[in-house]
Amino acid sequence: MLSFMLKRIAQLIPVFIGATLLVYFLVFATPGNPIDALSGGKPMSDATRSALEAQYNLDKPFWVQYGLYLKNLVTFDLGTSFSGQEVSALLGRAFPVTARLAILALLIEGVFGVIFGVIAGMRKGKWFDSTILVASLIVIAVPTFVLGFVLQFVIGVKLEWVKPTVSGAATWGELFLPALVLGLVSLAYVVRLTRTSVIENKSADFVRTATAKGLSRNRVVSVHILRNSLIPVVTFLGADLGSLMGGAIVTEGIFNVPGVGHLLYQAIQKGETPTVVAIVGVLVIIFVVANLIVDMLYALLDPRIRYA
Amino acid sequence: MRYSHASKAVVLSAALALTLSACGGGSTDSAGGEGDGSYVVTANTTEPQNGLLPANTNEVGGGRVMDLLFTGLVSYDAKGAPVNELAESIETTDSQNYTIKIKSGETFSDGSPVTAASFVDAWNFGAAAKNAQLNSYFFESIKGFDKVNAEKSTEDKMEGLKVVDDTTFTVELSQPESDFPLRLGYTAFMPLPEAAFEDPKAFGEKPVGNGPYKLTEWNHDVNLKMDVNENYDGPRKAANGGIDFKVYQSTDSAYQDLVSGNLDVLDQIPPSQLASYQSDLGDRSVNSPYAGNATITIPGYLDHFKQDEEGNLRRAAISRAIDRQLIIDKVYQGGKVIAKDFTAPVIEGYDDSLPGSEVLAFDADEAKKLWAEADKISEWDSGDEFSIGYNVDGAGNKEYVEAVVNQLKNNLGINATAKSFSSFKELRAKVTSYTMTGGFRTGWQADYPSLYNFLGPLFGTGAGSNDGKYSSKEFDDALAKGLAATDAAEGAKIFNQAQEILFKDLPAIPLWYQAVQGGWSENVSNVEFGWNGVPIYNEITGK
Repeated sequence: MLSFMLKRIAQLIPVFIGATLLVYFLVFATPGNPIDALSGGKPMSDATRSALEAQYNLDKPFWVQYGLYLKNLVTFDLGTSFSGQEVSALLGRAFPVTARLAILALLIEGVFGVIFGVIAGMRKGKWFDSTILVASLIVIAVPTFVLGFVLQFVIGVKLEWVKPTVSGAATWGELFLPALVLGLVSLAYVVRLTRTSVIENKSADFVRTATAKGLSRNRVVSVHILRNSLIPVVTFLGADLGSLMGGAIVTEGIFNVPGVGHLLYQAIQKGETPTVVAIVGVLVIIFVVANLIVDMLYALLDPRIRYA
Repeated sequence: MRYSHASKAVVLSAALALTLSACGGGSTDSAGGEGDGSYVVTANTTEPQNGLLPANTNEVGGGRVMDLLFTGLVSYDAKGAPVNELAESIETTDSQNYTIKIKSGETFSDGSPVTAASFVDAWNFGAAAKNAQLNSYFFESIKGFDKVNAEKSTEDKMEGLKVVDDTTFTVELSQPESDFPLRLGYTAFMPLPEAAFEDPKAFGEKPVGNGPYKLTEWNHDVNLKMDVNENYDGPRKAANGGIDFKVYQSTDSAYQDLVSGNLDVLDQIPPSQLASYQSDLGDRSVNSPYAGNATITIPGYLDHFKQDEEGNLRRAAISRAIDRQLIIDKVYQGGKVIAKDFTAPVIEGYDDSLPGSEVLAFDADEAKKLWAEADKISEWDSGDEFSIGYNVDGAGNKEYVEAVVNQLKNNLGINATAKSFSSFKELRAKVTSYTMTGGFRTGWQADYPSLYNFLGPLFGTGAGSNDGKYSSKEFDDALAKGLAATDAAEGAKIFNQAQEILFKDLPAIPLWYQAVQGGWSENVSNVEFGWNGVPIYNEITGK
């Protein structure tokens, strides 16, 4: 088990270097010069321009730029943004906020998704099941930004239950509504995934055996059906954590959450390579670690799976 | 390009560009009379893109903060007229040599004195290439700029600036420029305390100024809190208890906060709400023109559009084929003002009926005629394409450029297309390397309220923002003459005559003047927007 984990963690190194190189190159290759964004269309003398280019290493060839970046990375120096702030400080502010948002979204979709999915699966064809199927279809069909604006308008502006936007502190309570919006589409998928899986397992041999042995219905459902139905759901949730963190741009924009999405969007617009690469780098690590955790969970959920 | 990032600049002009200062002045008495003078006003902003140094702040997010944080020799009132702040007198006899006396006994909010050296050192710092300040071009008229702003130059003292004594300094320009005193209210010309030069980067994070407010907290990407500066005793004294600027990623979310009472002042209504904000807010909203415009530049290096008779005819034809009012009504819900010249109506000296300005009026028949005349000189092949470039990262750009293109198709019968660029910086890179293959959207927001600011930097031969490579000796001479005039009204007259040359050559086709659509909550009163479209924050009071 331990050696398996170590092997997986070691895989992180090439994945990380490859991803940063690729992203660094993509930002490098985007058309236009970041200095033009800085000057905002106003005049700039050649001398000032070259002084700025030298300051941000933009005057150097790609490999030199990337080499300097890696060299600084070894000493945990992530570089500075055009606004003169340490990129590490930017990440330190934005990532905890987005992490809270993503974890909350994951909890919402995990808890409600599995509960609704199990109930719907156990009562296949009944009204609850039909309602869930239609509702989840609607949620999947409606784009996130529409859901976001509608919920913000109804709950924030009309009912005034919460403020329409999140404060700088971005507390758990404030993030509930944005997290609901962010997690709703995945919630719909989790419900459907759980439901299908439960229906499949309900008629499996081991369930019939368990029932025949005279086990209580609760025990049959929670231990035999649910546990076996969770494998695809856990896979989905694990992969989703990364997408939630990286894909929160729209939701963060609607609720003005000072998180990673906005930071990344701004950095891409400005051509601010160190910030873009750092954010993507951290996201890559989160993806890999989340997948590792999912693999570990398989072993817990299915005793037949063993890692050596 | 507060792409803004949906910064106003991105949305409205070619520029993330920005400008400046708000600055009211004058009417503090009316503000102080009623209302709650201790109320802390919340207002929207975007995250300042650079450290808060005067010569490095060139966009709205930082600009509005700097204008409250610092005060220079002059500030501008709501109409854009300069009002003396620290200046006791600015004297010149030839528009080239200025003697500037400042008030004595003024201090920065940390107690250090504001002296003549505070200005001279700050300007020298801003101009030197080695400091890489974005506003360095503002100092280019000062004698010696070319030495400190040369490639690899290590010098940072311009010979045109001399401290005479603690409260007096002299400025020598490299040529007479009558509107130099007008520029002195722009952010770039603010003084700096000595402490700033020891570690400019650290100072930019925690700036110490001499304006009506001081910055007490800057939580990046979240908010900037400003307290009243009790030491300030000028025309822009605060009528409230402070300003809390909240950073918004989009004006849509800011608008929701405004209508639910969680934000006091919003200086830009999002495009999605333009149709309904007046009914939502009633008399708590404003729609007023400010010193900015939108244009289409058709560069003189394109075939058929050279700076000759054929090119001039074709540009005039295109100008007359555009029904500006229709686009303003359909795309902007009336939120712009049809252009009648190359400047903006809030500028002193503006004239809405200059000879030659009829070339900006819509007339499809005349347009066809002009185009046909050009065809006689050199045939426009039916396979030829005329494109207008725009950047997709600014809200509304696509809509209006496509509308213009459709009108050209219908009214001229030519193959016109809208050409999209993924970002402002991609478009600008093509524009500034003079490799565009068609026309493109441009625009200008004044840095300081002057006709010259709309003309010199954009259409002077070799000027920094002359995107179309326009060059006219006649126009250059007129500009020089206008700058040499010692009387402002006389100068304005000559600048307007210079515009008549532009109407013939149309180096850019004016579309409309920018207008600000803003709103405020029930918690505040006395909200007014300045000549540059920025709210006059110091006059706002609580209810």
